[in-house]
Amino acid sequence: MSDEIIKEEVSGKDRRSFLNLSIFISFAVAIGGVLYPIAKYLLPTDSTKGTEGGETFFISTDDVPVGSAKLVRYKNRPTIVVRLKENEVYALSAVCTHLGCIVKWHEDAKELLCPCHAARFDLYGNVLGGPAPKPLPTYKAAVEEDRILIREA
Amino acid sequence: MNELRLGPILIRNRFLISIYNFVENRLGIKEILDLEVFYKLAPSYLGIFSCFGGITFFMFTLQVVTGILLLVYYIPTTAQAYDSVVHITNNVPFGWLIRGIHHWGANIMIITVFIHMGKIYFHGIYKNPRELNWVTGIVLLTCTLSFSFTGYLLPWTQLSYWATVVGTEIPSAMPVIGDYIKIFLRGGADVSQITLTRFFAVHIMVLPAAVIMFIVLHIIMIRRQGISGPL
Ligand code: HEM
Ligand code: FES
Repeated sequence: MSDEIIKEEVSGKDRRSFLNLSIFISFAVAIGGVLYPIAKYLLPTDSTKGTEGGETFFISTDDVPVGSAKLVRYKNRPTIVVRLKENEVYALSAVCTHLGCIVKWHEDAKELLCPCHAARFDLYGNVLGGPAPKPLPTYKAAVEEDRILIREA
Repeated sequence: MNELRLGPILIRNRFLISIYNFVENRLGIKEILDLEVFYKLAPSYLGIFSCFGGITFFMFTLQVVTGILLLVYYIPTTAQAYDSVVHITNNVPFGWLIRGIHHWGANIMIITVFIHMGKIYFHGIYKNPRELNWVTGIVLLTCTLSFSFTGYLLPWTQLSYWATVVGTEIPSAMPVIGDYIKIFLRGGADVSQITLTRFFAVHIMVLPAAVIMFIVLHIIMIRRQGISGPL
């Protein structure tokens, strides 16, 4: 290596180091331009969760006999559908507002009971007892022919 | 040591040199990296059309990368395939871009593969001693076309469905074995979930494995025989 090159490198202001820096920056921009969309694509956001296109969601009435309840995923959240009578259905978030356990339907008491610390809710989401601080969010539910439709309240 | 020469590449960055030394001291990679391929200049008679094999290879790597990214959100069931593809296009950030590259890349790859083949044909490069490389090339062409045929079904649109119905119907015109081939391709009498599942398997596992193997053979043969002479 000649002395001249060493001097140029030390000063860092010559044409060669400028070109090297430009090449480095171009590569960095090119690589960043590829990695940025890929990272955005892979990182989960609200828009990447759940594939339901519309707001309404339905299940077959056969899946929920009268007097029983079924746990479904609506808008990618655990949701409990309760069929009280032939044409009377309720849909609520099944996530307990206390510490997030999944509430269960108790047919004999006609209420939702959380198995973790015994919070109790009615079918409108109201807290009947236990440590839950807030009511359960509810959705609109209706029987239409052989389907139960669930909509945002 | 404050500079390192690997073929025509001169490295002066101390950090890169120390990484190189670390690996070199343990694995002795100098022989591998110092291959004469580094010193070889492309003959001046090679023109733009000689680039299309390499361009096709580049297109394939692009399809592999974008294809794997699509797999992250694609769902191969008749109930959800279309929704998942719409979801990729409309909701996932840059999903439109990844899918667009895969979609257009597939089309461009067909074009580049044919230009490559045309050059080999019109320049008579397929002749002795390169017949075997022509054969691996035909296998790669067949695989590329099969990639497109199987990939086209995956979004499960009306267009995909009927294209597959018609496409799998074609072999049934053959006497005796025709119907068996059709049923084998479809996995049943008609195009169904089973067809989607096997096309998916072929598209993302069988064909990539086959193409990678044949590309390796293709390149090894080129390296053994050297690039062909001018017309
Ligand atoms: C490892 C390699 C590959 C993987 C993992 C892969 C994966 C996929 C997936 C998941 C889809 C469905 C998503 C969609 O339709 O947009 C798809 C579609 C498709 N693929 Fe691939 N693919 C690969 C390579 C290729 C190659 C080499 C070609 C053609 C030369 C190809 C052609 C197509 C076509 C034509 C579609 C339909 C595109 C569309 O409708 O937008 N694929 N592929
Ligand atoms: S989590 Fe439901 S009562 Fe504590």
